[in-house]
Amino acid sequence: MIGLSHYLVLSAALFALGVLGLLTRKNAVQVLMSIELMLNAANVNLVAFSRYAAGNLGGQVFAVFVIVVAASEVAVALAIVLTLYRLRRTPNLDDADILKG
Amino acid sequence: MDELSRSLAWFRPELALVIGLLLVVIAEAFGGASRRLALRLLTAGSLAAALTFALELQAGGIKAALFSGMLVIDPLSVAFKLILIAAGLVTVLAFSFRNSRELHGLGQGELFALVLALTLSCLLLAAANDILMLYLALEMVSITSYVMVAYLKGDRMSNEASLKYVLFGAASTGSMLYGFSLLYGLAGTTSLPAIQDYLAGGIPDANRFAVYAVTILVLAGFGFKIAAVPFHFWCPDVYQGAPTPVTALLSVLPKAAGLAIALRFFYGALSAPEAGTWDLAGSINWKALLMLVSVMTMTLGNVAALTQTNMKRLLAYSSIAHAGYLLMGIVALSENGARALLVYLAGYLVMNLGAFLVVTLVHLHDGSFDLRDYPGLYRRAPLLTLAMAFFLLSLVGIPPFVGFLAKLYVFAAVIEQGMGIYATIGALNAAVAAYYYFKILKVMTIDPGNEDKPALQLAFPDRAWLAALALANLVPLLFWERIEAWARGALVLYAGR
Repeated sequence: MIGLSHYLVLSAALFALGVLGLLTRKNAVQVLMSIELMLNAANVNLVAFSRYAAGNLGGQVFAVFVIVVAASEVAVALAIVLTLYRLRRTPNLDDADILKG
Repeated sequence: MDELSRSLAWFRPELALVIGLLLVVIAEAFGGASRRLALRLLTAGSLAAALTFALELQAGGIKAALFSGMLVIDPLSVAFKLILIAAGLVTVLAFSFRNSRELHGLGQGELFALVLALTLSCLLLAAANDILMLYLALEMVSITSYVMVAYLKGDRMSNEASLKYVLFGAASTGSMLYGFSLLYGLAGTTSLPAIQDYLAGGIPDANRFAVYAVTILVLAGFGFKIAAVPFHFWCPDVYQGAPTPVTALLSVLPKAAGLAIALRFFYGALSAPEAGTWDLAGSINWKALLMLVSVMTMTLGNVAALTQTNMKRLLAYSSIAHAGYLLMGIVALSENGARALLVYLAGYLVMNLGAFLVVTLVHLHDGSFDLRDYPGLYRRAPLLTLAMAFFLLSLVGIPPFVGFLAKLYVFAAVIEQGMGIYATIGALNAAVAAYYYFKILKVMTIDPGNEDKPALQLAFPDRAWLAALALANLVPLLFWERIEAWARGALVLYAGR
């Protein structure tokens, strides 16, 4: 029987994978995908808690909002990655190094 | 229906901004030759209307929950709204497309629309009373800021700054969201007052550990907004890469809104209100955690600022250091702490915007943000140098400028709570900060160089704004009782049950 703890383990694993990708990936698009994993880990949590623990729909509503916000955030982020790609011809984050000090 | 119309009546500052935002977009699309003037008037007009409505709300002293408890209106949130709208208004009026060399010739409507959207989202963040609303408002602040930072489309620095901002921002709000999802699981609700009830009711030890984890995760989101160490890495790069008027706006608005919501979250959800003071709810000792963050923030900000030569970068580290002092007001966990935070923010608004205005004007005339190009300004622009002296002395915290009183309030608030060592660290930091602020002043007045360059021909509005902001750093002391009374009257944190 699949219960709350299974979902929590899944979401913890997703979040950890997201953080790992965030720290190790060099490509801006891959980093964005890792962030997407972190957000979806939170979504799994929210929906699972809503179903098994809280007994209200607040978590599911929250998850819907998170999906919308994540989509708009990624739209802006990809637009910025694209303009930077036009200027520099690389999506590699290590090459974004003119600002430092 | 009744509640909706009642909520809308108390939602007028935000509605004024929404209407202004829509009108700006329409004017940008259909406006004729007089478009530029219309856009500025619309933006400043809607901000002024929002300010009037907020003053009305303040006079009413209303305490109520709006929109089914999503937002709350109380004197504290209205006081933050006043600071936020005033910062937006000063930025729109003092910084223009004419006096910013970076923005010169770019489309105006989009930027003004974004300024209004940023102010609106900061107002929502300052009044959020539900973690869903908190998350939505915080993301709206973030997304509008990302776009504003990338406003110089063909500029590599601007785009690189924005990319770093997006990645740091998305990662820290992602962590915050994960924390919120756990908090929802523990408390079974998204409403801040209900979370407070849950924590105050006593929680098992196993859950206490979880709430600590939640606090750290949530702190990532707030820390990112107020540029607190270790979530500050974006700050110097973004401040340097963004157009200077945007930098000035970002140095005040998101920081103030982030502190407002941090205050509401830590006082209103993680503590229990008592008579005149607060108790740590459910024995979650977030004070020690936040104190550590605050000490690291001010120390790192000040030490890193010592070696900077780019003025925008220097002011970025200075604003990180100020975030550390501002956090002291929250760590104090008392009414005096909250009051110190309000007073400090109001002072920080005038001194920081003033310093950024000087940087913008020097860049307009000399095309440089480098401190090494600042010698001789004393001779070439006496008024500008005098105004900068006011701003810098205020930032150091020298009497009789507002910066001094602001520091006095936060230090007094933490000493009162028996945290003398913490206040001492703050004072030591202020001494370190004095070095780099005075260094700027020394370069402008004493250092030789630029003898052959002509005097700066400042336009009248620029001179007027320099004088106004400089006086704003001094004059408030003459009627300090009224400011004190304002801050004291604002100390009502309504839970909105």
